[in-house]
Amino acid sequence: MRFDTVIIGGGLSGLVCGIRLQKSGKNCAIISAGQSAMHFSSGTFDLLGRMPDGSVVENPLEAIDRLDAGHPYSIIGKEKVARYATEAPDFLAGCGITVKGDAQSNSWRITPTGERKPAWLTLGDFTPLTSKNEKIGTKALIVNILGYLDFNTKFLADSFEKQGTVCRIASIRLEEMERLRKNPSEMRSTNIARVMDRDNIWEKAASQVKEMIKDEDVVVLPAVFGLKNAETVETMRKAIGIKTVFVATMPPSVPGIRTQMTLKAEFERAGGRFFIGDSVIEADFNEDNTVKSVATYNFGDIRVYADDFVLATGSFFSKGLIATPEKIYEPVFGIDLNYEEKRDGWFDRNFWNRQNYISFGAKVSEKLNTYVDGRPVENLYAIGSLLGGSNTLYEGCGGGVAIISALAAADEILHK
Amino acid sequence: MGTGVRDNEFDVIIVGGGITGAGTARDCALRGLKVLLIERHDLATGATGRNHGLLHSGARYAVTDRESAEECIKENMILRKIARHCVEETEGLFLTLPEDDLAYQAKFVESCQAAGINAEIIDPKEALRMEPSANPDIIGAVKVPDGAVDPFRLTSANVIDAKLHGAKVMVYSEVTSLIKEGDTIKGVETFNHITKQKEKYYAPVTVNAGGIWGQHIAELAGAKINMFPAKGALLIFGHRVNNVVLNRCRKPANADILVPGDTICLIGTTSSRVPFEEVDNMYVTPDEVDVLLQEGEKLAPSLASTRILRAYAGVRPLVATDDDPSGRNISRGIVLLDHETRDGIKGFISITGGKLMTYRLMAEWATDLVCRKLNSSETCVTMHTPLPGSEKENIDEISQKTWSKPGATHKATVGRHGARAVSIGLNDEYDASLVCECEEVSVGEVRYAVNELDVHNLVDLRRRTRVGMGTCQGELCACRAAGMLADAHKCTDRAKNDLKSFVNERWKGMYPICWGDTLRESEYSQWIYSGVCGLESEGCETDKAE
Repeated sequence: MRFDTVIIGGGLSGLVCGIRLQKSGKNCAIISAGQSAMHFSSGTFDLLGRMPDGSVVENPLEAIDRLDAGHPYSIIGKEKVARYATEAPDFLAGCGITVKGDAQSNSWRITPTGERKPAWLTLGDFTPLTSKNEKIGTKALIVNILGYLDFNTKFLADSFEKQGTVCRIASIRLEEMERLRKNPSEMRSTNIARVMDRDNIWEKAASQVKEMIKDEDVVVLPAVFGLKNAETVETMRKAIGIKTVFVATMPPSVPGIRTQMTLKAEFERAGGRFFIGDSVIEADFNEDNTVKSVATYNFGDIRVYADDFVLATGSFFSKGLIATPEKIYEPVFGIDLNYEEKRDGWFDRNFWNRQNYISFGAKVSEKLNTYVDGRPVENLYAIGSLLGGSNTLYEGCGGGVAIISALAAADEILHK
Repeated sequence: MGTGVRDNEFDVIIVGGGITGAGTARDCALRGLKVLLIERHDLATGATGRNHGLLHSGARYAVTDRESAEECIKENMILRKIARHCVEETEGLFLTLPEDDLAYQAKFVESCQAAGINAEIIDPKEALRMEPSANPDIIGAVKVPDGAVDPFRLTSANVIDAKLHGAKVMVYSEVTSLIKEGDTIKGVETFNHITKQKEKYYAPVTVNAGGIWGQHIAELAGAKINMFPAKGALLIFGHRVNNVVLNRCRKPANADILVPGDTICLIGTTSSRVPFEEVDNMYVTPDEVDVLLQEGEKLAPSLASTRILRAYAGVRPLVATDDDPSGRNISRGIVLLDHETRDGIKGFISITGGKLMTYRLMAEWATDLVCRKLNSSETCVTMHTPLPGSEKENIDEISQKTWSKPGATHKATVGRHGARAVSIGLNDEYDASLVCECEEVSVGEVRYAVNELDVHNLVDLRRRTRVGMGTCQGELCACRAAGMLADAHKCTDRAKNDLKSFVNERWKGMYPICWGDTLRESEYSQWIYSGVCGLESEGCETDKAE
């Protein structure tokens, strides 16, 4: 089997890279094991929320200048980062995903536990705040679906009340939900969303919510609507009739899964091949240290050949990186990594402090080429959270690194 | 007796909410005394909750410590009757590996029989049929009546019964000083960590059941006990590799017991002396992890490919006798000190040494002495009085009787609370919905624990219900349960800080083994809690007891 480019990993970075290449005329395949980080999305993509020294970032593009040379943004280069960051909303809109946001001015998102975090691009489901302490309204009606435990109304009410919003907590009960409620583990976001989508049950939910409103000027709901169609959320807003703020739930994330499915559909519509439920197990190299082909579980003896390979397998959770008591390695190509050798240096004893292991990852050239045994591999690129050099969680830059490195690697391949 | 006339006057004050204190409180209450039990953290936070959960047959001590062995087998038989909902009758095997001396087996069996332990040499092939996960290379096997016991459940059941018999139980209350008049201890001064109040309580007898921390409590009374803090580290694996307790048939050494318990199994322990100053903060070192893995794989080779869930360590409350650097040679025997005869301090006794297995006997001895001091002639009944939850039926009978169609959640609940499960509402769909999928803990069970079992935070809740003890180590259930606690305690700030402390406490058991799937799980937790939720360290207690 032969493609122009084979991308390993079907998360945000793999899909963005694949769509860009496919739409530019490359024949691409994505090999994906299954779920991605988008399945537990926060509802926003972040570009840079905090500097490594802990200071809060207001203007990400301006702050990028002050990052270390090893940071993926520094490796890609400030000008390119700015270009891709500015282009990203249009790119996503071209895939059918509506986002709001500005790379030169962070907005704020409300987290499932009521915290406020810097955000770059916000999915259409959600309401970005312009300042950290913005009040969502004078009186809020926070509505949950009876029996759903992954939407913490108390935590949210408490955080809104701290900004001076008076809160009332209520719940709706739908007979269509009773079947789910009978099975004690079924009341989870995606199951609720599926029931809501079926026969437009969400209309009933919206009208129940509307009837509950007394003198409130804002309604707060869990983001469990429109698994298949983002428009559902907009239509619900109209049906409820007053300002409606959807807040991200604990995983799985309904808007995140929808976004991932939308990107996948866009890639396939452009002609790309998406192989789901498969994993690359090994690779062979040409004499010039370029990758020749890879083998996967499902294709068995049939090897997959390509001119270029993009590694977008993520970090530890998605098995892009493997840790043993002795070492950390990348399992497919054995590419060179940046990490601390002593296990003591991987973690901090306080969970809430910065954890070093998050910043471990692939060593890459300015073209995002990987290395094996110190030698560059000219046709193998690493993108997304597999990249080392940034503590994406602490700095709040995971989404930005994924999207920007994906676009940068795609352009390197296109301009070869 | 009920001699106390005021709210703060009791017949006996027991300091320490581990299994010894809980057992003593129950025994005293059953003998009609007005009891106050005081614990500075939660129940079972010390050595009680940090061991193998092994229902010793006593075989392990048969060769080296006959007295402990005899106590163990007697208590083993008693606990099977009085604490059936806390005990799993798994049986145990003592395996001889090619590197071990088979000659030890004969001596071992002989010593067991002398101590009254039914030890039977069986064909290694039969042993492998009994426990297929055992090392196939074994050259010898002895069957003994070992089992598994849930120490949290056992402590909780003792406390429930003490309360049913009128005892007052105060958790998160720390004894700051003892009230002494002349040569007599009249009571205790406490600091209540929840209400932030200083309080005073009086009783003619105070029992020091503080385990390793008992050294400090004795100091407050002006007495000196030389404890020997012997740290023991253990590893928890993600599922039950074995159904039969596996031991090495050799002189007790590192990592030679593998115990199944609930959904997991445990390998342990190491033994090393630690400075007394460190007993509040036990960290498991990489070397300890390596030893436990190396030795554990010899008992059950499949441990090499089994996911490790957690590493943890406890401190044995041994009483020092000689200069033994490992503490292995010190007797695990019971130490009951009457400070009146020993140090001239009246109204104060210490019960220490011993082990989880012999807690009931320790309680009996301590209560006998308390009764002597109070001139009470009441005798002990705990050897034949079942604990609440263990009265009669087994899990299936209780489930059938309570629910028309008992499901897995119902059975898990009965498994944890025995016959007490009837007071847990599980009929309504909302009550039946699961907070913790790994351990099948329902909304109803969480509510029951919060209302009835002295639960003040998520870590307490874990000890009562197993919330967050499964493979995911509290990924989503912690947040759900925090929401319920916010409701119950009407304070969201406290619940949120509690959530942070809980996640941090889970991490403490994970970082010593943070590679492979454990690191993957941790990274996911980081994404959820630090990333998606955006929680930060502010308000988190970093060094809370496990």
